[in-house]
Amino acid sequence: MLLKLLDRLEEVLIAFLIGAATLIIFAAVAHRYASGVPVLQDYILHWNFSWAQELCIYMFVWMAKFGAAYGVRTGIHVGVDVVINRLESRNRGKFIIFGLLAGALFTGVVGTLGANFVWHIAQTEQTSADLEWPMWMIYLAIPVGSYLMCFRFLQVTWLFARTGELPHHDHGHVEGLEEDLTDPQREAQDVNWYEMDDNLHPHDIAHHEGGKPRNRINEPKENDR
Amino acid sequence: MNAAIIFGLLLALMLTGMPISISLGLTVLTFLFTMTEVPIEAVALKLFTGIEKFEIMAIPFFILAGNFLTHGGVARRMINFATSMVGHWHGGLGLAGVVGCALFAAVSGSSPATVVAIGSIVLPAMVRQGFPRQFGAGVITTSGALGILIPPSIVMVMYAVATSGSQQSASVGQLFIAGVVPGLILAFLLGLTTWYRAWKNGYPRLPKASLAERFRTFREAIWGLLLIIIVIGGIYSGIFTPTEAAAMSAVYAFIVAVFVYKDMPLKGVPNVLLSSANMSAMLLYIITNAVLFSFVLTSENIPQAIADWIVAQGLGVIAFLLVTNVLLLAAGNFMEPSSIVLIMAPILFPVAIKLGIDPVHFGIMMVVNMEVGMCHPPVGLNLYVASGITKMGITELTVAVWPWLLTMLLFLVAVTYIPALSLWLPRMLGVM
Repeated sequence: MLLKLLDRLEEVLIAFLIGAATLIIFAAVAHRYASGVPVLQDYILHWNFSWAQELCIYMFVWMAKFGAAYGVRTGIHVGVDVVINRLESRNRGKFIIFGLLAGALFTGVVGTLGANFVWHIAQTEQTSADLEWPMWMIYLAIPVGSYLMCFRFLQVTWLFARTGELPHHDHGHVEGLEEDLTDPQREAQDVNWYEMDDNLHPHDIAHHEGGKPRNRINEPKENDR
Repeated sequence: MNAAIIFGLLLALMLTGMPISISLGLTVLTFLFTMTEVPIEAVALKLFTGIEKFEIMAIPFFILAGNFLTHGGVARRMINFATSMVGHWHGGLGLAGVVGCALFAAVSGSSPATVVAIGSIVLPAMVRQGFPRQFGAGVITTSGALGILIPPSIVMVMYAVATSGSQQSASVGQLFIAGVVPGLILAFLLGLTTWYRAWKNGYPRLPKASLAERFRTFREAIWGLLLIIIVIGGIYSGIFTPTEAAAMSAVYAFIVAVFVYKDMPLKGVPNVLLSSANMSAMLLYIITNAVLFSFVLTSENIPQAIADWIVAQGLGVIAFLLVTNVLLLAAGNFMEPSSIVLIMAPILFPVAIKLGIDPVHFGIMMVVNMEVGMCHPPVGLNLYVASGITKMGITELTVAVWPWLLTMLLFLVAVTYIPALSLWLPRMLGVM
């Protein structure tokens, strides 16, 4: 229950951040040119958009940190998996677990470093240049995002150890776009090119049962996700 | 010595199949904890400031714009327009596919996105018309690669970011303008290959479209085509910075998809936002760690040492470019373009500068190289997307793409050794 809530919160947060950042930059640019128009000038010239760029950057940094954690859950992170995808499944499983734990280790260490860093910054009076927000709040993205990512790595490791399954986003059924099933394009449009059966991601064990890992690459990629 | 340890560790970690971002980060941490005096706290700060540049933000914006366009029926109208213009020549729909890819590439910054958008419409139509599946798949897989050469291009932004430490680095705007001519030439060459193969094998052609028909399809496609003017025109005339242009195109693409063409329901928007955020965050995470990695390399003076060593070997420009190409093509067998550019560019760039190679030319060459890597196994993204659409196996597709891939390789040689191809337009327009 709590996990579901966390999942949802993560999704809403990153979707909101990317959407809002886009609108802010759009508004800032529109404002810059609209203030050149004589009729509007008097009304909007005094609006100050100098903070827009800074806010946009901070929003994207937050999106990047939390999105990276979400990416672990959706299995989007790319790696060099040409070699291990040729191993038989038992050995491949060991490498996959090693990789996932390495991810947890890295994000855990970075989270701790970040927490330390934020602690030190919080003792100072540093504020950001345009928004004048306290820097420690802005830098909070590093420890919180990294710890969340660490947690996601452990979660995926646990799932993989138990079921042999790695997370895959099922893009065939994106909610909200479903009604348009008549469009022959729909299925192909939802292909996410960083989440395919390519050699940028490890083949998991549940969907690629041992046997002939060598031939995997030659088979048509039908519905095996 | 340090260089050997760093690269050895990175290679070993990458080969275990862990995410590239993690292997970069772990290499840096291991190195910092055991071998240097660089304060470890600098890492935490670098993790934040590494992506604290406004230019980098063009990447999520272009991904968002691309996703709206792919879902929004822009591609279909562009193909209709292309078909009415070139459909009556040999290769009919195949040629229209090449032109469609070139048009879509001019609004999207990613190759696989172009393959998805154009391929999902053109490929089934081609099969219905009696083209062999291999022919269609070959055309679209390779033409889709135009996505990263014709501006806007995510890989070019990556290159600009990766080399931004140097004083002579190329700006995103310069690279975008420089990509136009090579992009058009490659589109022409791929079209020529398509035309020749269709003519030799007698593939079906379409009846010639009337002038009224051409005008109608043009008017329908105009909303998508206008985006080309917004992005390229906006950047060139200085109305927008590349990042602002990317944000504008994302908003514009949203309006076109939801309100003008009405091909996407409003409630689909959160999903597009989420999947764009997912992909952008993945790329931004690689950038963060790659910045960290090149920070360590630079603080150890490794790129300079490599540059000095290569120059001392008496390697000329021609030999160096050859070696670079071979190296990049080899890397294309293991990694996807963004990671290659982020890892390789900071190392190769100082050498190129020392040898007097123009940074913009070097960037375009790298991008063309990445295109080739996307079209052949084992990790070619375009190939896998095309395989997803056509339900063809990878081996079969590999055979199918070779005529176009060969064209592309010849084009790569041309781009490598004729700098004027990439430098003529930006020089003429006075942007560099």
